[in-house]
Amino acid sequence: MIRVENLKKTFGKNEVLKDISVTIKPQEVVVVIGPSGSGKSTFLRCLNLLETITAGHVYIEGVDIADKKTDINKIRTEVGMVFQQFNLFPHKTVLENIILAPMKVKKQSREQAVKKARELLGKVGLAEKENVYPDSLSGGQKQRVAIARALAMEPKIMLFDEPTSALDPEMVGEVLEVMKQLAREGMTMVVVTHEMGFAREVGDRVIFMDGGYIVEENTPNQLFNNPQHERTKLFLSKVL
Amino acid sequence: MIQLAGSFIESISVSTGFRFDLLAGYMPLFLKGTLYTIGISLFAIFIGLILGLLIGLGELMRNKLLSFPFKAYVAFVRGTPFFVQILIIHFGVIPVFLGKTNGVAAGIVALSLNSAAYIAEIFRAGIQSIDKGQMEAARSLGMTHTQAMKSVILPQAFKRMIPPLGNEFITLIKESSLTAIVAVPEIMYWARAFNGEYYRVWEPYLLAAVIYFILTFTLSILLSHLEKRLATDDKS
Ligand SMILES: Nc1ncnc2c1ncn2[C@@H]1O[C@H](COP(=O)(O)OP(=O)(O)OP(=O)(O)O)[C@@H](O)[C@H]1O
Ligand SMILES: [Mg+2]
Repeated sequence: MIRVENLKKTFGKNEVLKDISVTIKPQEVVVVIGPSGSGKSTFLRCLNLLETITAGHVYIEGVDIADKKTDINKIRTEVGMVFQQFNLFPHKTVLENIILAPMKVKKQSREQAVKKARELLGKVGLAEKENVYPDSLSGGQKQRVAIARALAMEPKIMLFDEPTSALDPEMVGEVLEVMKQLAREGMTMVVVTHEMGFAREVGDRVIFMDGGYIVEENTPNQLFNNPQHERTKLFLSKVL
Repeated sequence: MIQLAGSFIESISVSTGFRFDLLAGYMPLFLKGTLYTIGISLFAIFIGLILGLLIGLGELMRNKLLSFPFKAYVAFVRGTPFFVQILIIHFGVIPVFLGKTNGVAAGIVALSLNSAAYIAEIFRAGIQSIDKGQMEAARSLGMTHTQAMKSVILPQAFKRMIPPLGNEFITLIKESSLTAIVAVPEIMYWARAFNGEYYRVWEPYLLAAVIYFILTFTLSILLSHLEKRLATDDKS
């Protein structure tokens, strides 16, 4: 479903991703962990070309996304993304946030988009909030709307970049719950997070990144209980 | 009541030597001048807004070669006096296009081109003030750059642009007084004519000042209403 081959990314002289190769299968939930600055966000953002790729290839369902002939907007409709800072559109109501892209990009009728949006709002537990502006929502509610907004495009893959890191502790649970539900439904997910409990519970595989490399990848059980590399052990000793 | 006002004015004019009687004769001309001031300002604001948006978007183009002309234009306009710009347009540019010069055309063109540069800066700053996560969120949903600009970035940016745009409109109304030197029959043109005819200073210039103040003050009240309305729109 996602195939990354020898991906490199540099910002100026700063080589952030040095040589990343990984394959992610359909319905797999891959959790990416690693110290700050190790390139987790950059890696994720290369998967939908929010960052240009310096070298190597990213294939989404066999399509090379950096190929000039590829319509990246088409690819992006199939790869949803959820950001740490939510990035809801503050000038639009919750409902308008969700129906905007389906109407503009997929040319859905308003009725069609609204129907789907209401369904998704129900799913994330915010049915009664459709007419409020994001400003009046709590962090956890904002992030659930952001997830609904991404799902409205009916993506095949969802990318999450530290979706709970900007939340007050008491709101982390409600967002993780929505993500778990999504995983149970078989969504292919790549999740950057510091929530090790989530990684253990829903992750099929955990990738540990450090210094622009994938240092180690394994099942959560193996990686957390039996890390092979010193750097992995060091990192885990700090976060567990 | 009218009598009372009349005698009040008379007593001022006796005690200060202020010649209301001369001004009264010039009133139709000042009125016409005021309409001219409003007219050329509206024209210039309209053209300036459109040009300003285009120039502002031009400045934001990522290709440095493409954005350079727009940046150079803004730098040139901001770095030279409006007085000089008006004379260049009036005696240099307009004759090239119309064969002969024309004060009103020169005034409108000069004001438009001048305000376009300042408005471009307001647009550019407004667009850049929007968190880049907004563009990223829109693009990640599959929207094109243009769609994201239209539906997500510009509506938010416009709201932030209203106060500085208001200032720019007020500046423009005041700067339009400089078009008097190319014989646009606006407020200052008639004030100077009055001064030339009667060799009196206070009457024409004080009246001109009062008219400008009424125009700009009214505009600033309208703008602050608009700002408040938009601000409360958000919180509904
Ligand atoms: N747009 C950018 N321009 C220049 N450097 C960047 C840019 N984005 C990221 N970097 C650099 O790339 C490196 C990796 O950043 P990245 O955000 O991918 O790390 P991360 O693993 O997500 O860290 P964190 O846990 O803090 O989010 C950092 O050194 C950062 O300074
Ligand atoms: Mg990050």
